[in-house]
Amino acid sequence: MAKVKVATAWLDCCSGCHMSFLDIDEAIIELAKQVEFTRSPITDIKEFTPVDVGIVEGAVSTTSDEEVLRKLRDNCKILMAWGDCACFGGICAMRNLFTKEDVLRRYYIETESTREGRIPSSEDIPSLFEQVRPLNQVVKVDCYVPGCPPDSKAIQYALSELLQGRIPVLPSEMMRFD
Amino acid sequence: MKEITLTINDRQVKGKEGDTVLEVCQANGVDLPTLCHLEGLSDVGACRMCVVEIERERRPVPACTYPARDGLVVKTHTEQLEKYRRLVLELIFTERNHFCMFCGQSGDCELQELAYRYQMDNVRYSYAFPSLPVDSLGDYLVVDHNRCILCGRCVRACSEVVGIHAIDFGKRGWRTVISADLEQPLGESSCVSCGACVQACPTGAILSKLSLYKGKTSECQQVTTVCPLCGVGCELKVLVKDNNLVRIESPGLKGPRAALCKEGRFGLLYDQRPRVTSPLIRDRQGKLEECTIDEAIETAADKLRELKDGFAGIISSRYPKETLSLFNRFMRHVMGSDWIDTLDGRNYRLIAKGISQFNDKGRGLDVECSIEEILEADCILVAGADVLKTHPVLGYLIRQAISQRRAKVVVIDSVRDVLPLWSDLWLKPKAGSEGVLFNGLAKILIDKGLVERQKAPAELLQSPSGYEADEVSRATGIHIGDLELAASMYGEAEHGVVIYGEGLLERNDPSLVTCLLSLADLKQHRSGDHLRVISLKPHANSHGAWELGLAAEDIPQDKLKGLYLFLADEQEDEGLWNWLKGIDFLMVQASYHSAITSLADVVLPSPIWAEREEGTYASMDGRVSESRRVLQPKDGLLQDREMLIELSKKLGRELVPS
Repeated sequence: MAKVKVATAWLDCCSGCHMSFLDIDEAIIELAKQVEFTRSPITDIKEFTPVDVGIVEGAVSTTSDEEVLRKLRDNCKILMAWGDCACFGGICAMRNLFTKEDVLRRYYIETESTREGRIPSSEDIPSLFEQVRPLNQVVKVDCYVPGCPPDSKAIQYALSELLQGRIPVLPSEMMRFD
Repeated sequence: MKEITLTINDRQVKGKEGDTVLEVCQANGVDLPTLCHLEGLSDVGACRMCVVEIERERRPVPACTYPARDGLVVKTHTEQLEKYRRLVLELIFTERNHFCMFCGQSGDCELQELAYRYQMDNVRYSYAFPSLPVDSLGDYLVVDHNRCILCGRCVRACSEVVGIHAIDFGKRGWRTVISADLEQPLGESSCVSCGACVQACPTGAILSKLSLYKGKTSECQQVTTVCPLCGVGCELKVLVKDNNLVRIESPGLKGPRAALCKEGRFGLLYDQRPRVTSPLIRDRQGKLEECTIDEAIETAADKLRELKDGFAGIISSRYPKETLSLFNRFMRHVMGSDWIDTLDGRNYRLIAKGISQFNDKGRGLDVECSIEEILEADCILVAGADVLKTHPVLGYLIRQAISQRRAKVVVIDSVRDVLPLWSDLWLKPKAGSEGVLFNGLAKILIDKGLVERQKAPAELLQSPSGYEADEVSRATGIHIGDLELAASMYGEAEHGVVIYGEGLLERNDPSLVTCLLSLADLKQHRSGDHLRVISLKPHANSHGAWELGLAAEDIPQDKLKGLYLFLADEQEDEGLWNWLKGIDFLMVQASYHSAITSLADVVLPSPIWAEREEGTYASMDGRVSESRRVLQPKDGLLQDREMLIELSKKLGRELVPS
């Protein structure tokens, strides 16, 4: 049987969800027999190629995040959101309580260790959106694994559901927002 | 109550007339999700989690406010209802900051629990992200409006359980926030920091600084015990994790004793005083030095053997009955001394004498009424009793009587109005003229025909001259109009309650107690055998200690040579320090270092309230409760009982617990 092709991406995040995925430990050997990871921070492949499953960690915070997310969506059949940032906005959305200008000023100018700071501006640097958004406010998302980070058991459950041809919905006892 | 029959989810179930549909569901094992409902509070239907379909109702209705009727046909878990519930949850989550990973209540949150139950793994609406203030300047409480779902449980707990009603909804619609007074910071408002709101809050909107991140409910053991502080005797539910106090709650918000005070809920969690961890004895240079338990007991026993007479024992009435009675036996049988007193013994002797002068039928403290009578009161005389300071929960009961019964409150205090926001009248008698005032009030009651003339004591009728209103006014410095107003408030009341305390007892005049009892008797403000008079008893087991006869007589200070003071975790007291400083040999058993322990020749460590073994307490109105040990005592710390037994052994006597 041909391997299921999976691509993953991280947007505005801490990479904790990918770490939690690696926490499935030896189960990753079995998984590797059934799954081929194409584009992913783990494989360090950058190009988007058509895949069966796209997995995204993190919220949409910059123009680059949106571009990556849309490309992945265009290239995958099923899109799965990993973690609270991707599902709800999570910790990244804390900045939504302030204006973009306040956030940038605080970060680049007012931090206690900063001397003569300035807010960088260049076409090469992705710019921040006014608001951080969860994935489903940008593209269609097919399934969600919330958690900060999701427990590796929850990630494993979601992946095995997908491999068995079902769209995963975490049972209540696996649900976590922290 | 009439029984009714309903059909819930095609099943015939029974309920009582007056129940809500929610109550019938809960009584019959139908698991309806709720958020704004909390046992002990009224229901308002704010959250819409408990919506149900009822035949012939056009739209879903909240079960918590819908009265159950005979023959109702109810559906609780249709697909449509479950959809609505999930939708309600999603809308609540989008309204404010409900991101759990940086919330202190994560894992202890009803909103989170419901979102898990409804498998809310995404939200279909955009978030509002209002930036609301956080009020964290109070002593114990943090209010984070961003986490608030406006269920109003805190508002109802504050007004219904405590009676203070310091918080309510402020602003309107989208901008509604919980507001203390007129949007004051909680610490500067009329809030009394009792913490009922923390207990009521289903989310992380109202937090206790002392309990945050110390442990989730599911990780804690729960121990129910009795509060070791004042005489009200509130029941406490103490949560403990890894032998550390996590938080203290009221076991339930239902019933008249459901409120706790600031000290009971928060103060007990955090005592900064340095612990007495090792016994101390005074060395040749006069310095207190650490020693072993054996050395301390040896030294104490040597000294006690020398003292043939003039040895007394004083014990705090914070101790349970078992310790008090063992101490009593130690003093009488091992030490052969009858000089035994409690720290609040003087109060008892005054009250007991006052009661015996009033009535020689041998009635004791049981002539007084239970504190629940306050809730029924339509007039409350507060005489020399700073209730909110010394017995806050009684203060809350007064407040509830004011809001629910429109009770009139008359404060009699020669220094200040102790209930400035609540009192209808403050009588300020000249210091020492309280007796004249009470008799004067009685005289007005008789003259105005507010009491039956034949019930009036003979001396009031025969020698009216001393208690004519103008004479009383002159003697007390109170305006005649105020005297008459006070008399008519109390005299026209159907359920008058008198509360008196330290401010009156410090006059050292038992006849003041007699006067108050007579006043209540004159107006027949009584419930059965009990006159509606309440004396404030300072400590958790004052009533119990006094009933054991521990405070029968004054200790003759001039003949006193040695003293064994059982201080427990009592607060420092300057008066006591002055009283103790001239004593030749002072042995103190205490949990904390203080000016008093530094006077001592021998200091023995004592467990704090939470480490004390189980025992029996009698509240100020005689209600008996069991205390339980909450924490394992520190290593090597003897229980007070063990200490007394060891000391007796060393003295060659056996002390057997009864």
